[in-house]
Amino acid sequence: MVILSLMDNNNNRLFIHRDMKPVTLVNSVEIILTPQFYTFIREDLDIRFAYQAKQIAASLFDDYLDHSTEYQYHVNKCQNQWCFFAYNIEEIDQFLETIGIEKHRVSKIYFAQELESALEQPIQLSEKNILQTIDGTVTLIPSQLMERNIQFNPLNIEAEKLTSGITMGASLNSFISLKETILLSSLFFILGTIFIVEGSRTKSSVAKDEALALELTKKHSKYNDSGFRLNLLNKYQPIKKHEITKRQSIKEISKLLSSRSQLVKLTIDKHSIKATIKASDRNVANQVSRNAKAKKLSSSNNGLDVKVEKKI
Amino acid sequence: MNLMTLQRYRNELILLIAVLFALFAFIYKISANTYVKENRTEITKKISEINTILTLKKQWGGKGLGKKVQSLKTVVNTSKVKSFNKKSKKLIASYVGLTGNELNKVTNKLINLPVQITNLTIQQSSKNQYTMEFTCKW
Repeated sequence: MVILSLMDNNNNRLFIHRDMKPVTLVNSVEIILTPQFYTFIREDLDIRFAYQAKQIAASLFDDYLDHSTEYQYHVNKCQNQWCFFAYNIEEIDQFLETIGIEKHRVSKIYFAQELESALEQPIQLSEKNILQTIDGTVTLIPSQLMERNIQFNPLNIEAEKLTSGITMGASLNSFISLKETILLSSLFFILGTIFIVEGSRTKSSVAKDEALALELTKKHSKYNDSGFRLNLLNKYQPIKKHEITKRQSIKEISKLLSSRSQLVKLTIDKHSIKATIKASDRNVANQVSRNAKAKKLSSSNNGLDVKVEKKI
Repeated sequence: MNLMTLQRYRNELILLIAVLFALFAFIYKISANTYVKENRTEITKKISEINTILTLKKQWGGKGLGKKVQSLKTVVNTSKVKSFNKKSKKLIASYVGLTGNELNKVTNKLINLPVQITNLTIQQSSKNQYTMEFTCKW
């Protein structure tokens, strides 16, 4: 059993192949899948983006894969072509368990194809298998097929630059594509932000009034009670209304007076304002009466006397 | 729920968080609207009531009115002031022999003072001669 302590180096890498020995991990590990765990196709396609290539990945592997198994696909650009990988993450997961690698320890999964140039010279994976690039494709070759005195390349995989990795979780099929997720999430975040901004603006619109009310109640704390305010309003508002009526009526009655119509009597009590005006002749009396009515005062003629009244 | 499941449903999780964010933001907006709707009327009413009370109190219950009503005694010749009784916040006054002009002067003075006229009687005693009695309070 091999024990890997990764406390001092988080980038430890492991080639994963069927006849490897069990390992014990202390920390996470990056794994490099050998062709035993994936199917590889390289295509020269007129496609611009990786997500577009990924959309057609399944159809490319139609003739090569077993339809009863669910596959995941990975695409990356290799030189001027597109490299397509089909793999079964559950199969990989199960195998990793058998060799003692828990899935949460796997930080990244790479494909051995990425080491195409480094594997121009063969490396020995185990007693039975050799890994080598043949015609641009990284291939697993049984040792028996190789010459006996072959020189193996001492490959330091930690030093190799690997860029096109996937994660365990992300490699599993999501119901929603990443593109849709980004689009929908952005929409919802924008919508949410608009709601928050609108809500804050609405709330702040009343803040000014709240501050004014607070200042007033602080200054006049006794008016904080709505009952007390109502009592005061009930006390003062009728006073204002009645007193204004009295004063306006006096002014209006005074406008009815002239050298030919003189005031005889004027009384104001709790309920009404009454005035008696004596006219010099009947025509003047009628004129005074009409003017009084025009000013919304009730009037009645009694000979030359015109009685004018206004209810309070 | 282990890390792998979380990673598997990463897209759905991101979308769910975004939906929840929008939902909570919408609830916040609705609650802000409701809060403003409920409180604006109440706050505006409160401010208006306090301001009205302050204005009314200042106008109809203002201090210094006791001194101001004193001017009703001097607006015409004192010989024409039959009685002038000011007690606490109440005034009972009567005038005799007022000419039309003098009557106008006293009346104008009275109606321009912010007092409550509880009773007023103006009576023509002879041609261009009037008596006047009134009771007012403040």
